[in-house]
Amino acid sequence: MEVRANLVEQNSAREKKAYRPLNTQDLLQKVLFRYVLEGNAASDEGRLAWLTSGFPVEIPVAMGITPTYPEQYGAVVGSQKVGPTVCGFAEEMGYSQELCSYARSSIGSTRKPEESPLEGLPKPQALLACNNICGTVLRWYDAISEMTGAPVFLLDTPPFEGQQQPHHLAYVRSGLERLVEFLSKTFDVSLEEERLREVAENSSKAIGLWTKSLEACKTRPSPLNCADRFTTMAPVVTMRGAEHTTEFYQALYDEVQERVSKGIGAIRDEKIRLLWDNIPPWFSIFKFFNGLAERGVVFPADTYTHAWSGSIEGRDLFESAATVYSNVYLNKGLQAKVDKMTELIKNYDLDGFVMFSVRSCKRYSLGQLVSKELVTEATGVPGVVIEGDMVDSRLFNEAQIQTRIDALLEMFE
Amino acid sequence: MSQRKLGIGLDVGSTTTKAVMVDSSGKILGSHLVATGASGASAAKRCLEELGRKSGADTACVATISTGYGRSLIDFAEKSVTEITCHSIGVHHLNPGIRLLIDVGGQDSKVIRVGENGRPTDFELNDKCSAGTGRFLEVMARVLDVSIDELGPFALQSNSPSTISSTCTVFAESEVVGRIGAGENPKDIAAGVHAAMASKISTLSRRVGLTTPICVTGGVALNPAFRYYLSKQVGTELWMPDNPQLTGALGAAILSLEP
Repeated sequence: MEVRANLVEQNSAREKKAYRPLNTQDLLQKVLFRYVLEGNAASDEGRLAWLTSGFPVEIPVAMGITPTYPEQYGAVVGSQKVGPTVCGFAEEMGYSQELCSYARSSIGSTRKPEESPLEGLPKPQALLACNNICGTVLRWYDAISEMTGAPVFLLDTPPFEGQQQPHHLAYVRSGLERLVEFLSKTFDVSLEEERLREVAENSSKAIGLWTKSLEACKTRPSPLNCADRFTTMAPVVTMRGAEHTTEFYQALYDEVQERVSKGIGAIRDEKIRLLWDNIPPWFSIFKFFNGLAERGVVFPADTYTHAWSGSIEGRDLFESAATVYSNVYLNKGLQAKVDKMTELIKNYDLDGFVMFSVRSCKRYSLGQLVSKELVTEATGVPGVVIEGDMVDSRLFNEAQIQTRIDALLEMFE
Repeated sequence: MSQRKLGIGLDVGSTTTKAVMVDSSGKILGSHLVATGASGASAAKRCLEELGRKSGADTACVATISTGYGRSLIDFAEKSVTEITCHSIGVHHLNPGIRLLIDVGGQDSKVIRVGENGRPTDFELNDKCSAGTGRFLEVMARVLDVSIDELGPFALQSNSPSTISSTCTVFAESEVVGRIGAGENPKDIAAGVHAAMASKISTLSRRVGLTTPICVTGGVALNPAFRYYLSKQVGTELWMPDNPQLTGALGAAILSLEP
């Protein structure tokens, strides 16, 4: 009887919650568990590579290399609220607290895997860095190379303003050819075009479904909130090109469509729709967004999860990959960021925006004060900049952030 | 007399706690200010008791809105509103023409663009660092061996301000100690300290946009040297209410009158 009473209580508590969890979260856990197992197995078999989030993963995958992602691992460190400890392992070696907390998590956990979540990432046989997301990755992967002995490959994609020039494209394309040489030599494998096309197709399918789920958030009420997207984006970041990734995004899209057709929102009482800019504070992602959900605030769009778009297709797959991976959000100038935010605010019918100035991520946060002004000018909606970090909770002052967000919300009264 | 016609605003700041009582027309009936100390809740209680004693009203029956960093500690308040909105409303009540508000408190500084209806339309805060806050001046006053109230008038006696390059409280402290050691005139150093702080606040203000007329509030607004150097930096005269520390509490009191 007591158990039943407890269950009833729990159900009614769930009913009262402002936020509706996705059923797909269960499937996500399974997919991510598989990712961990596959990573461990690949490491044992000598075919594991660590990759940066914006690396053209389709090429190593087509060559039989299994990827794993230190940035995603940083998010795990953050979510488990051990950022200060694991980053501390790197700081003890002399790394500055100013260094990216993803880099510190990765270096710290490589130094002390036994004291880190999941016992650190499995040992890599190669380190594949692409600087389309930031310049820190090169020195970070160099440091990991010193610690693990795995060789580093850098795919250089210089940042640019406006349109990508032909010489830029040719340069990045030549980098992809060098990548194939590097992988062939390091792993004693070769690339079959047919296999690359197959992987690229899987990757495009997953990205296509992901994009459709994101775009469904234009509806009122929005079927997904920020934390939903930040958690369900994991497979599109880490397992692009695998068949089961496409299955996961089909399941997610089905659930999103069902919510849309029944008018079910990600939060119970949607009143204010905001845009989120930058990586989230992983250590308080649910607390932060659910706290705002209780006040009727939903985030139907953000600049981060929209970054995984673009399909590798056409006759020349290398040229297509060079175009897609050069044109990522963080590799372009300030105007491209302002345009993207403006477009999202208009298309998703948003009332305002929150920009998270992430101490770690200089490439993402640089220029936010200026873009805030420009976006308000272009859209007429107010925004606010809050400061903190994605992993290092020591840099996150809740009271100060609360005041800024509250003041923004008071502007809508 | 119906107590509903009165309103109270309680501003629990990091350094001082302020209470203001208004009547239904927004006229200030009384105010009180105490040091916040270690407990915002007890400072708020002391403020209210004094307000009740001065006005003869039963403060427990008057609608109260809390604001400031300690706003959530005040459980008897009908609601809490951020100091950003409250300062804006308070200043607008006193001078509806004001379009930009610079508030420099003990632990933070804020610049607020005031809309025509008195609500903020944009703002910027400096709250991670004590540079550009009252705390910066407190530390400098201690190093220069001058009381915080005397620091401004002392600095205004200088004809040739020193250049203080750092606005970081910690680094500026060592810089000032160095200047003292080098035999520079303390008045010139004090003037340099104010100029450095004004430069920091002026930069913050430019981020929001220097729309005139501009108002200064907060405890630091009482310092004449700060007003002098800030006015020079932003290139315009600054308007200051009679009680610049009370505008947040006043705004909260005005909001408490709203149905």
